[in-house]
Amino acid sequence: HRRLPAVIPTPPVSASPFPNPKSQYCCLSRNFSAALTPLLPVQLPSRMETHLWYVVPDEVKSAPLLSKYMELLPQSERDHVLGFRGDQLQKSALLARTLVRTTIARYQVDGHLDPRSLRFKRNIHGKPEVEWETKDGFCPPPLQFNISHTSSLVACGVTMNSLIGIDVEEKRRRTKNNILAFAKRYFTAHEVEHLNAIPDSELQQQEFIKLWTLKEAYVKALGKGFSSSPFNTFTIRVNTAAQESFCLVKARKEASSGIAVETLDSPQNLTNNWQFALLELMGSHYVAICLERQETGGAGKAFPIKLTARKTIPSVEDELVSGTNAVVTIGGSVTQF
Amino acid sequence: MAAASASSFTSLKSRPAPGLATIAAVKSGAPLSFSFRRPVPAVSRLRISCAAKPETVEKVAKIVKKQLALPAETPVTGDSKFAALGADSLDTVEIVMGLEEEFHISVEEDSAQSIATVQDAADLIEELVQKK
Repeated sequence: HRRLPAVIPTPPVSASPFPNPKSQYCCLSRNFSAALTPLLPVQLPSRMETHLWYVVPDEVKSAPLLSKYMELLPQSERDHVLGFRGDQLQKSALLARTLVRTTIARYQVDGHLDPRSLRFKRNIHGKPEVEWETKDGFCPPPLQFNISHTSSLVACGVTMNSLIGIDVEEKRRRTKNNILAFAKRYFTAHEVEHLNAIPDSELQQQEFIKLWTLKEAYVKALGKGFSSSPFNTFTIRVNTAAQESFCLVKARKEASSGIAVETLDSPQNLTNNWQFALLELMGSHYVAICLERQETGGAGKAFPIKLTARKTIPSVEDELVSGTNAVVTIGGSVTQF
Repeated sequence: MAAASASSFTSLKSRPAPGLATIAAVKSGAPLSFSFRRPVPAVSRLRISCAAKPETVEKVAKIVKKQLALPAETPVTGDSKFAALGADSLDTVEIVMGLEEEFHISVEEDSAQSIATVQDAADLIEELVQKK
């Protein structure tokens, strides 16, 4: 693992107290006077690369640090965070906003590095995007990002130019409803068949979660909202070799198994515009990534996804984890760097 | 697709008998006035849309609490947002599935996506139940 050192704190600056009495961080911020340390810059991904950043909320325990994160957000985002019921939900919502702001800021687009100054907007379908400042001579970079979070993991994927959707889920997530009943209602016939064919209920549950995250990632990459692509209008197909390799592939830097999407309105043509990666993170979570294909190799074959994965605590430390046991490719064609 | 509205309204269509309306000068800002010789014609369309019954809201709240494993005493009202209670997209779809079973209705995917609060769900349920 390569671990970057934590940066030395700058001299104390008086903290602004939180006006919102609902925040548990209100009183604590008065005692902690150091400002958040400056962010270390990071190189933008190349056109063929995907960067995956993630935070484990349970590892971020410092209340003063969390209150500093709050200060990075505009009032509207703070209100949004505080609108969640309970500390755990508020914390993961806060870390999601913090991760996206600090990560994008670190790419130092246009030379500056302030996560506070980033503005976000939604496209006409509701997909979040960066709203770059329109200054003379400034051409905004084609930076694409997508966030996903559960209470136990917050993740952000970044590319240059390629539309991206990501979804994370705990491996042991259980549905309240029966899996097959749920799949019959919401998935396609092929996917129901695929799940039905799995005799072991534990494996079936895991396979369901994998399908769910892949489908979510696809819809999020499309960026047109869930109602434009109901889950029963497209099938995620996994090739036979991959079905076995879901169980067998462990800690290999390169894995090759096909995941493809097929839309019901053109069943003869697998939709070649999109490629997928399915990762097992820290042995506890599935991360599905869907990317717009940029270029193909010879004879229409896609290049593998070039992935760099970093675990981070914003403004504190990063750890490069690609190619380690922390990030195992279990589906799709991925090369980890 | 917009979620069913919680407001109540009545809509009444009527037309003045031709040639009988008199309109005060608009430029002066004086109110428009119409005079009719005949009573207002029969209503062509009447629609009343009201907020869902409290019992429906209660049932929805119960299903939501069960899906999200919230303690029974958790305050969940019509205004409560699914996301704020901790529902992610999988929870929301499961909640909709639970509502379909409870109320014997079928919710279209685009309607399901527009449900943000307990009230939205309750209103949609009553609209679908009435249509049956």
